[in-house]
Amino acid sequence: MSPQTQQLVLWLIPGAPLVAAIVIALFGPRVLRQRSHWPCWLALAASTVCAVILLADVVPATFGEHGAAASVVAAGYPWLDIGQMQVRIDLRADAMSALMLSMVTSVSFLVSIFSAGYMHGDRGYARFFAAFSLFVFSMASLVLSGNYLQLFIFWELVGLCSYLLIGFWFQRPSAAAAAKKAFVVNRIGDMGFILGIFLIWTTFGSLDFSSVLFDPDRLRQAGAAEPGRITIICFLLLLGAMGKSAQVPLHVWLPDAMEGPTPVSALIHAATMVTAGVYLVARSTPLFALSPDAQMFVSGIGATTALLAALIALTQMDLKRVLAYSTVSQLAYMFMALGVGAAGVELATDGATAGMFHLFTHGFFKALLFLAAGSVMHSMGDVIDMRRFGGLRKALPVTHWTFLCGAAALAGVPLLSGFWSKDEILAVLHEAGEHERVGGFFTAIYWVATATAFLTAFYTFRAYFMTFWGAERFPPEAGHHPHDAPPAMAWPLRILAVAALGVGAAASAGHWFATYMAHTPAMAHEGEHVFHLDLMVVSGLVAFAGIALAWLMYVGRPGLAASISRRASFLYDLSFKKFFLDELFLSILVLPLWAAAKLCYLIDLYIIDRLVDVVGSVPRLLSRAPRLLHTGLVSNYVLMMWVGLLACLGYVLGMMG
Amino acid sequence: MTTAIEQLNAAVYLIAPELILVVTVCVMFITGPFFVTESGVATPGLRKRWTALSLTAIGCAAFVWYTSTRTAPAGAGPFRIDELTFYVRGLTLAAGAVLAVLFAEQIDDGHAAEGQACLLAILAGVNLTAIANDLVGLFLALELVSIPTYVLLYLPRRGAANQEATAKYMLLSIFSSAIVLYGMSLLYGASGTTNLAGIMAARSQHPEASATLARVAAATLVAGLSFRIAAAPFHFYAPDVFQGVSSAAAAMLSFVPKVVGFVAILRVLPLAGELWPAADSGDGASIRTLLAALAIVTMAIGNLLALRQQHLHRLLAYSSVAHAGYMLVGLAVGPASSPISGVGALLFYLAAYGVTTIGIFALLACVAGKGAPLQTQGDLAGLSRVHPAVALGLAICLFGLTGLPPTAGFTGKLNLFFAGWSDGTPLGRTLAIVMAINAAIAAWYYLRLIAVMFLDPPAAEGQPGKLFLGPAVAGAACSAATVLLFVAPQPVWNAAARFSALASP
Repeated sequence: MSPQTQQLVLWLIPGAPLVAAIVIALFGPRVLRQRSHWPCWLALAASTVCAVILLADVVPATFGEHGAAASVVAAGYPWLDIGQMQVRIDLRADAMSALMLSMVTSVSFLVSIFSAGYMHGDRGYARFFAAFSLFVFSMASLVLSGNYLQLFIFWELVGLCSYLLIGFWFQRPSAAAAAKKAFVVNRIGDMGFILGIFLIWTTFGSLDFSSVLFDPDRLRQAGAAEPGRITIICFLLLLGAMGKSAQVPLHVWLPDAMEGPTPVSALIHAATMVTAGVYLVARSTPLFALSPDAQMFVSGIGATTALLAALIALTQMDLKRVLAYSTVSQLAYMFMALGVGAAGVELATDGATAGMFHLFTHGFFKALLFLAAGSVMHSMGDVIDMRRFGGLRKALPVTHWTFLCGAAALAGVPLLSGFWSKDEILAVLHEAGEHERVGGFFTAIYWVATATAFLTAFYTFRAYFMTFWGAERFPPEAGHHPHDAPPAMAWPLRILAVAALGVGAAASAGHWFATYMAHTPAMAHEGEHVFHLDLMVVSGLVAFAGIALAWLMYVGRPGLAASISRRASFLYDLSFKKFFLDELFLSILVLPLWAAAKLCYLIDLYIIDRLVDVVGSVPRLLSRAPRLLHTGLVSNYVLMMWVGLLACLGYVLGMMG
Repeated sequence: MTTAIEQLNAAVYLIAPELILVVTVCVMFITGPFFVTESGVATPGLRKRWTALSLTAIGCAAFVWYTSTRTAPAGAGPFRIDELTFYVRGLTLAAGAVLAVLFAEQIDDGHAAEGQACLLAILAGVNLTAIANDLVGLFLALELVSIPTYVLLYLPRRGAANQEATAKYMLLSIFSSAIVLYGMSLLYGASGTTNLAGIMAARSQHPEASATLARVAAATLVAGLSFRIAAAPFHFYAPDVFQGVSSAAAAMLSFVPKVVGFVAILRVLPLAGELWPAADSGDGASIRTLLAALAIVTMAIGNLLALRQQHLHRLLAYSSVAHAGYMLVGLAVGPASSPISGVGALLFYLAAYGVTTIGIFALLACVAGKGAPLQTQGDLAGLSRVHPAVALGLAICLFGLTGLPPTAGFTGKLNLFFAGWSDGTPLGRTLAIVMAINAAIAAWYYLRLIAVMFLDPPAAEGQPGKLFLGPAVAGAACSAATVLLFVAPQPVWNAAARFSALASP
């Protein structure tokens, strides 16, 4: 491909959605109205095509496992070049970002089609698609960033889009509160991220990936000179990633974010934005590889979050919240894999590859599950409480089958996509467990992961059985005859269902995904791919066990669930009330902060404001005197010019001495 | 040995773009009256044709500008073509195209020919200021800007207020021209030639001879040209004149004289030899201190007086004064300070200021038209609900004047700030800090306008008035350019930074 085409493709991926966002924002409310989805569709289709072209272009079709040459496609221009300060706008794609982009753009495209059906008739139709396009622009730019600064800018911009879309129905107090909560909790993480960036700047003197991450000599020097500093950088970056990817204890915003329209939950809060944290850590693999401590922490946080979120998901009654907690749990799965480098540098690459693989497949099946949940909500008159409906499989056949595909993939049913990627993660964790020093730690993590897999299978199918099986029940809001998804909603569901079933197997065949990923700079793969049949059998059995238990409790013997929850009411409450984490935060963080804020407010009001007023009035007072000179009389003005001239002359003559 | 006429003949091709403009001016002035009846009535829509002719001339000139030679050895010839010429020509022609569109709807059909001709003459004058290699030529070029300006200020609205404003501007402008002329005569006396290269050579050969005369000449020239850039205390005309004239004329007045003034200063200052050295010699004995004092006074006066202004044109006049102060910072820092040239930053800021200020006047004009409903700050109330697009454009341009991203004003101020700060001398640092404080004060009155537009309810209910197409197009182009210069400043910045005032002969 000619360099010009290559550049064009790179610019189009974020550029097309940006143009769409501007067009919709300008013409949507008055001209396009209910046709506002068209610019968005066209732009996202263009982006998707470009992303696929890029996927083929970054790594040539004849790629091979060994001697894999790292290849990068880049475009950009110097933005500011003032003195010693050079800032570039860089678009940069390698194998890792190309894979992520292909997932992001194609899922966005499908979700945008679904949204046209789902949001039909909403008053903010144009606003929705403008924000949606802006989000895809920001997300694509985030993935294409060639330096940490740009990454941070778009990191904030996706956060802003997320805020706008969570609070899309801002008339509802709960939606406005959820948007605010998401924004504020993310700030905590972002504070870490930006501090990390500052520290990278002072350590490396650059923020470019090419000089920070992909320059082995420099990395080794920096690591040898100040090992502690690298660890601090990693922890700070991780803090940012934990905020964006909703890891304990910063996970509290994600379940509340379900207040947004369901397509938004599917795209932003399941498939794309929340994976940015995983991407950040995977991207920074060369940096993390220098710091085993930080990597252990990554895995540890991942394990804690995965288990905790899975336990909470067991008892939630809101279908979307079950899925939200499952997202938290699955993201944590990826984090577990990202930390295995602690058990040997050569494992870091495998861990990052496994994490990115799970990110890739998860994007498809989790988007599918959310969209299917949205379809349920659509036909149930916006009711999402699983206690109020049931037995929907006859009324909503398309939704039922597609949801089943997604649920099976998430549960890890063998040969479906979730199975392959989850298995990769279990495999690297198992391998890390053989390390002599930290083996025990990773063996424990491996068992946590397996337990989580069981819980995942159980709660996913609990939701499935509660929604689609049992006696047919509709809430009054649904009307008499709930209708299944209209074509605009049904087709994205069908396509995503196929992807959820097949994408894992396709990418696993011949270890295609891992071989492709090995073309990422500094991620060259060493060693053979091993087929862990034993691990596969275990994880398959675990998945089936979870599903079987769910069937037993919610279909086979319907009374069982209720009696268990009665007997273990303490544990049940603990899970149902989300381990009281929200309440805990409220009492130890929010209330003291609120009191401090109140105090500051009073100081501000009575002391600072007065001072500022005084400072502010100085210029106003100063402006009185010169005003008097503006008399409007030409003769006075000439006089002033004379004075000015004489002052100038006086200066130069005085200068002569 | 060639005669002066032969030299002129040989050099004529160097000013091809200006010749195109001047020939068009002649055609317009001569044929214009034949299209108008004795009572001054013309066919409706005639002004559009004159505007089209004007734009065609500008387009041809731009084509010749872009394709012709970019540097030519100056020597003893009447003209010189260097990086400054290239930059100024591009800037003038671009601004000229926008102003031509802006004036199109502000002058009635009967006077359109004269109006457009005056505008073209002004543009040619600005370019010739940057081209002149002779004191006489320089002065003629300056007057080629001034005299049509008097006419152009008066043409759009011929009322008492307009008359007063024009008269004030004319009287004071003539006064300043006299000062400039006096300075030039002193320079001639100090060196015995009017050729700029010749003066430079004479001054460098015998720096001690007539040193005092040269210094007095430099100070006089700076004082005289300070009127054009509206630096304090030569700025007093600005608020009165801006208030009296139409938006298009005010747009022209806020930008074109600044370009002329700074270009002329850049041409004559190096002639003063050691007065404007590359780096401060340390004892403060350089004209930098004078320029720095001018910069500080100008920034302070402009911003302080703008704070209490309610009238939009007056406010923008003071803002224009304040911006002259920011640009003087670049001039005071000087041409060759490392690592970023103050002159380069000044030239870039001219472009950034030009697009934002012309954009604001254009957008005011597109709501108001020839009448003047948008006079005070209160008239802007609720504009975002009546004309959202106009309010958005105004907000972008006001952000630009404030110096906030994502606008050209941010990049421009950043350049100036860096130039001052990285200069390394206490003078440069002081200037950078004073500039930052002033920018903060200025934010108050710019942002207040935005707040009025977006937060206050509209004063009166009713049908939104029709927007005027020409100014709307001009305003949209300027707003877009304001953002564009932030996103991709490099081409303009490179062109601006390439000129080094001291390297020229």
